[in-house]
Parts: sequence; structure tokens; C-alpha cells
Amino acid sequence: MNQDPFKKEQQLSRKLDEYHIEVPDFPIKPSRWGRFVHFLASPAKDPIEPLISAADGFMLIKAVPIIGTAVIAIIQALILL
Amino acid sequence: MRLNEREEGLMIAFQKGDEQALEGIYLLLRQPLYSFIFRYTRDEQFSIDIVQDTFVKLQRYKHQYNPKKGKLKSYLFQIAYRLMITKLNRRKKWRTLLPFLAPAQTEELHHSDKMTIRQAIADLPETQRAVILLYYYHDMPQEEIADILGIPKGTVKSRLHTAIKKLKESLGGEEFESRSF
Repeated sequence: MNQDPFKKEQQLSRKLDEYHIEVPDFPIKPSRWGRFVHFLASPAKDPIEPLISAADGFMLIKAVPIIGTAVIAIIQALILL
Repeated sequence: MRLNEREEGLMIAFQKGDEQALEGIYLLLRQPLYSFIFRYTRDEQFSIDIVQDTFVKLQRYKHQYNPKKGKLKSYLFQIAYRLMITKLNRRKKWRTLLPFLAPAQTEELHHSDKMTIRQAIADLPETQRAVILLYYYHDMPQEEIADILGIPKGTVKSRLHTAIKKLKESLGGEEFESRSF
């Protein structure tokens, strides 16, 4: 016998009934251009964020330009020599 | 005419070449399809894409549908569910490899009560989420849910009960003890 599990769960049913959604208007045919534009416009995760949010990462961000400059200077010196 | 019979009639007409019938099917079923995908993913554009792709697939494989095997609504939900899972899995892979390319999930601001139930459903494991959405919001019997999700009926039943238990825990245990009147 299949009993409806929600028969005893009136409070939960009331909560679930609060979850209304509005269905937007959209055509049956997809638009490739529209999808591409939406993809470009959609927010994406910042790849640097996990690095700078940690203390070590923040120091790394500060140190990278200095180290980079030093490396370039060494390479230039080697080329001149 | 019952809704199911109307849908079946339109699908048979579409299989025979009536393109207008497809529009009729779309008008009848786009809302429940969208609702299911949106409640599952909470991503409006993604949900629109899945519904549109579902109807593209229906057009491509229209002759594969057999009314003797099940309802048209179940057939479309099955297509939509598989497309959704494939696309979500692809996104997860992109997020791991190139996180700045994969679209991040955005959240809309809503009334706090609605946020709670929405969050509670979103926090359910994916396997339980699909079951509860199909059972509660789309009045599907367990046999149909089993066909759509490609799992045994017994698994549907156990996931449904586990999902109910988890929702009650998420929303505040004591408030949801069953009361006798």
C-alpha cells in the first residue's frame, strides 16, 4: 500500500507550498547568439581570489612583482654579458 | 478532455507532421519543466536553456515516443533531467579545470521564509532533491519518478523519506513534529 508521506507532514507541506516561482517568457527555439552573450555576461569565479584571501596568498601577490622584476633584470644582465 | 489525453493527442498529431501541435505541447509543458529545473538549480538562464534543449531533442527524436510506454510529460521530464545532469556535470569539470570560465551560481534576494525553504531544498543531496521536487510539486507517482530518474521504485521511496526527514531537520525539527487534531 502506497501511503502519501506528506499526509502526516502538514507543516512541511505548508512550507513547501511557499516556494513559488515565476516562469519567464521565452521562445521554444534557442538562440545560439543569445546563449553566447549570456555566457559572456554571466558572473564567474575570480581565480585570484583564493590566493589573496589567505595571508600567505596576500604576501605572494605583493612579492610576485618584485621577484618578477628581479628575474627580468638578471636575464637582461646575462644577455648584456 | 483530460490533460494527459490532450498532451498525447498533440504528440500523435506532431508525429504525423503537424508542427502547430508542437506549439501546443510547449504551451502545456514548458511551465512544469521550467519549474522543476529551476527549483533544482536556481539558475534562470540554465533552466531556460534546458527547457529549450528538451524541445529540440523532442523534435529530433519525436518518433521514439510511444504512448504505450508512458505519459508524454514523463518522457519530457526524463529528457530534461538527463540534459540537466549532463550539463551540470560538464560545468563541474570546467569549474575544476578553469574556474574563471564556468558560470558561477548567483542567488536572488527573496523574503526570508522563502529563502529558508529554497535553501533547505538546495541543501538536499541531488539524488533526493529530484525525488522530492517531482513528487511534491509535480504530483508524480513513484513509478513515474523511477522511470524519469532511471532508478528502482524502492530507491525512490527511500530517498523520498530521507528527503522529508532532512527537510524537517533543516527547517527546525520541533516545529515539524506531526500533531493529532
